[in-house]
Amino acid sequence: MSAIRNTVAIWKALFLREALSRFFLERGAWLWLIAEPIVHVAYLLVIYTVVRAHSIGGVDTAMWLLLGLQGFFLFRRTATQAMNALEANAALFTYRQVKPVDTVLVRGFLEAMLLAVVTLILLAGAGLLGHDVTPDRPLALLAAFIGLWLMGLGFALVASVASELVPELGRIQKIAMMPLYLVSGVVFPLAAVPQPYRDWLLYNPVAHGLEAARLAFTDHYHAVPELSTDYLYACALVSVFFGLALHRRFATRLVMQ
Amino acid sequence: MIVVDDVHKRYRTNHGPGDWVLRGVSFTIPARLSVGLIGHNGAGKSTLLRLIGGVDQPNRGRIERHCRVSWPMGFGGGLQGSLTGRQNAKFVCRIHGCDANLAERLEAVQRFAEIGKAFDEPVRTYSSGMKARLQFALSLAFEFDVYISDEVTSAGDAAFRKKAAAAFQDLTERASIIMVSHGEGTLKQFCTAGIWLNDGRATWFDRIDDALAAYKASRES
Repeated sequence: MSAIRNTVAIWKALFLREALSRFFLERGAWLWLIAEPIVHVAYLLVIYTVVRAHSIGGVDTAMWLLLGLQGFFLFRRTATQAMNALEANAALFTYRQVKPVDTVLVRGFLEAMLLAVVTLILLAGAGLLGHDVTPDRPLALLAAFIGLWLMGLGFALVASVASELVPELGRIQKIAMMPLYLVSGVVFPLAAVPQPYRDWLLYNPVAHGLEAARLAFTDHYHAVPELSTDYLYACALVSVFFGLALHRRFATRLVMQ
Repeated sequence: MIVVDDVHKRYRTNHGPGDWVLRGVSFTIPARLSVGLIGHNGAGKSTLLRLIGGVDQPNRGRIERHCRVSWPMGFGGGLQGSLTGRQNAKFVCRIHGCDANLAERLEAVQRFAEIGKAFDEPVRTYSSGMKARLQFALSLAFEFDVYISDEVTSAGDAAFRKKAAAAFQDLTERASIIMVSHGEGTLKQFCTAGIWLNDGRATWFDRIDDALAAYKASRES
């Protein structure tokens, strides 16, 4: 029991510390944390709704974009923030009870909390502007977002160990992250991509997560027919367990100098 | 009791693994015995302390700690520059499971460190002496069976050194110390036994005077 209590104490301490440095390290850091995704969504919204179309796949463009962007950010910010946890917290390994895996998990959790707050603010704003912001199937929406978060966490767990053991891999991972924004169907509907190319894009589990979130939000959304939440969860859980196994296997290597 | 068994250690460098710093170090430190580590610069004293403190891992061999061992105090690690002294102190209290009496501990740390208002300024604005004060105060706030000190008594100004020495003297009544110091007087004051590190190997001496004598003899020859 005391081992669990210790771990919880360490997670709590790490969480408070990470939150503190995330919110208050720079002047107005907390403001930008919230403002950045809001501006991002608003900017694309103006372009899409004014220039392009009022509905995509049979649903409100605003909500379609908002869910896609927030879902994608949930994955990407969890992945990149948690992946860099080892480097950022190297000084803490002076205290031997702090394990590398703790810092990755805590950062991932903090990112999920932040994104949840930002998403709620965005939904409230959209609601005030007259959009319909009540999801048709709230639990399915939650499941899709949790799947995306787990995918990000799994990626971070694997990548944090990999880039520590082989520093070159860290760079390759950063390059691989860049086009993901485009091929995940954040800003264009994947259902509009013809076969066989759509099948290629759908090897990306993040794309499944985004489509699942949109379908959960509006029942009559024309999602890609190949959509599979099972695939998302399979990828996410496999990578989480693989990542945890890597952390277990290389626990001593990660703190060695 | 701390058991160090056949410990080998080398560091990774940019061109593959470096030379062995420690090759086959074995000794057992009984409970309640204070030990001084002696050796020339680069002999592996700090490396051995970090291994005993569990901050780093040996490449071969094992280290068993059958008691509560502090983190190695006295080098720059363990403090995050962007956070204030108070925030750093809170973090250390929390990971040691001292949530309940956090305020008391913080007060004790603040009182001992004597860094005034700087306690609420980011650690990166501290001088090295102030950092040493904070670290020393932090490690004193917790009850360990063994304290690991890397030249901590030589940090800070004369007044602080005196205070640190007095605090160390108090410590030796209830706990033991494993220390590295280049001050012969400090070693003799606090340590009973000595370990002489030379050429990657360790030699145990039951009396610190013998260890110092062996070290001096090796330098003269």
